[in-house]
Amino acid sequence: MNATIALQMFGADFLKLRKRRGTMIWVLVLALLPVIILFTVKAIQHSSNALKYEPAGGTPGFTDGLRLLCLFFGPLAAVLIGVEAGTGDASAGVFRDLVVTGRSRLALFGSRVPAALAVCWSVTVTGYALVLLGTFAFASNLPTPDTALVLNGLGFTLLTTGVVCVVAVGFASLTNSKPAAITALIAWQLVASPLIANISSLGKARDAVLSQALIHFSPVHVGDRGASVTMSQGTGLLVLVAWVALFLALGAWRTRTMDA
Amino acid sequence: MSPPVDAASAEVPTSDPTSAGLAVETAGLTKRFGERTAVDGVDLLVPRGSAFGFLGPNGAGKTTTIRMLLGLTHASAGEMRVLGHPVPAERGTTLQRVGAIVEDPRFHPYLSGRENLRVVAAVRGPEAAERIAPALARVGLSERADEKVKSYSQGMRQRLGVARCLLADPLLLILDEPTNGLDPGGIQEFREMIRAMVEQEGRTVFLSSHLLDEVEKICDAAAIVDRGKIVTQGPIAELAEGGARHELIVGADDVELALSALSTSELVREARRSDEGIRVVLSGEPSTAAQVNAMLVRAGVGVMRLEPVRHSLEQRFLEVTSRLDAPEQPQEVQA
Repeated sequence: MNATIALQMFGADFLKLRKRRGTMIWVLVLALLPVIILFTVKAIQHSSNALKYEPAGGTPGFTDGLRLLCLFFGPLAAVLIGVEAGTGDASAGVFRDLVVTGRSRLALFGSRVPAALAVCWSVTVTGYALVLLGTFAFASNLPTPDTALVLNGLGFTLLTTGVVCVVAVGFASLTNSKPAAITALIAWQLVASPLIANISSLGKARDAVLSQALIHFSPVHVGDRGASVTMSQGTGLLVLVAWVALFLALGAWRTRTMDA
Repeated sequence: MSPPVDAASAEVPTSDPTSAGLAVETAGLTKRFGERTAVDGVDLLVPRGSAFGFLGPNGAGKTTTIRMLLGLTHASAGEMRVLGHPVPAERGTTLQRVGAIVEDPRFHPYLSGRENLRVVAAVRGPEAAERIAPALARVGLSERADEKVKSYSQGMRQRLGVARCLLADPLLLILDEPTNGLDPGGIQEFREMIRAMVEQEGRTVFLSSHLLDEVEKICDAAAIVDRGKIVTQGPIAELAEGGARHELIVGADDVELALSALSTSELVREARRSDEGIRVVLSGEPSTAAQVNAMLVRAGVGVMRLEPVRHSLEQRFLEVTSRLDAPEQPQEVQA
């Protein structure tokens, strides 16, 4: 397969995701609306009682916005996109028509990942832009993030949503069921992960929890709403690589071996 | 449906010269699902440049055979060659020039017809993208190509499925129950399109169907499959006649006298009154009809009509398949 075909396949998968209106509306709602609500509410609070409530923006606003986007709603949006990319062809019954072109199944699986990432990042980076807009527009007398922190925040946004998106593509390709994959991934992300991370008797085993590994790359202090486990950045990186590699391998294996 | 997309002139080089005249060749092809054998030692020979019918009742193993040929599921045993290439070993190369509709054609309903073709063309390669517009024109969907597929009728989806096949500029089209959902006009157009693909463009069409009439009208040759096994295969005319009894319709001025003469003749196995006159089953070959005529004349019967009974594929189908053994499910076979 040459670069032209790879690019065409990426374009086709990007088109399928972009045109999936229902999913895209939810993704936009999850990635943008909470950030807008956060800064709007904080700005209203500040304007109503400036002594009690600090300005909505500045570094504190940036920290809150980044946490909201990268540790909560951004990954949920990434799950929806990843699951759509992983199950879209099979659930529409089109996968067999792609297989009968003679193109390798691994290539069909492979083109889903960059397309999902492209859609995911285009949405979450927009969300990050809103965070920056709120941070600087409502900073008032508060300090604002420097360039390094802004860039680190962007990197953290790409990392958290990207990793979750790729894991979702792999897991959804493995299950081939959109409802099952969405339910399982959201339940894991929102319920199981924090629960496991807080069971101290599990000790170092908690390092393997994806969200805990991601938190260790945060450029801002996450506080008591996030990290429950301490680990080195090296361990965190290994955990992320392991999650991505495992689910990509499982998704690819299932795509290659299933009856189409 | 209008002019051809591309002439199927460029051949995919065959890796086995002995298969040059065959589009599909299988030997001992078998598929088992647990204890159940869905396809049982199928030996298929599909000549290139023909419309070949794969005829059988529902559940006979037609779709499973097609799915194995296309690499959608693995064979439990046996060998397959498509366009001269062994599959699944050379599946990728082979399928570049194969277009297929397996079961009902499926699409992304939220994309337009044109976008759905773009998706498949992207997977096939740059040349396929150039064939999108001609393929849509060929199946008569140009004007509605930019509407979402969810607004298409079943017939339009079938046509879009054929357009998707044409993106490959296929040497071989494999169509599984392709006229499902088409109205009579659409079926007629579809028949004409298939015949044009075979006769004018030199493509091979492998058409799986349980509709006897469809196969008889479209195909040059056919295989009848039942309970996973090929019961018989060959040209349609030979299939229809093969193994059938040679029968005559006789019109006589004196029916009683004619029946009496026929019942004592060694040339006749059976003679009985029917709505059309006298139905005569010959003991020998059709050529003995002339001797029957002479015998009747000698017996003083005025013969007004002597006509061989033409057997249909339907009759042959019913003779060789399990339909006769399973009268409780007659609705599955529609002529």
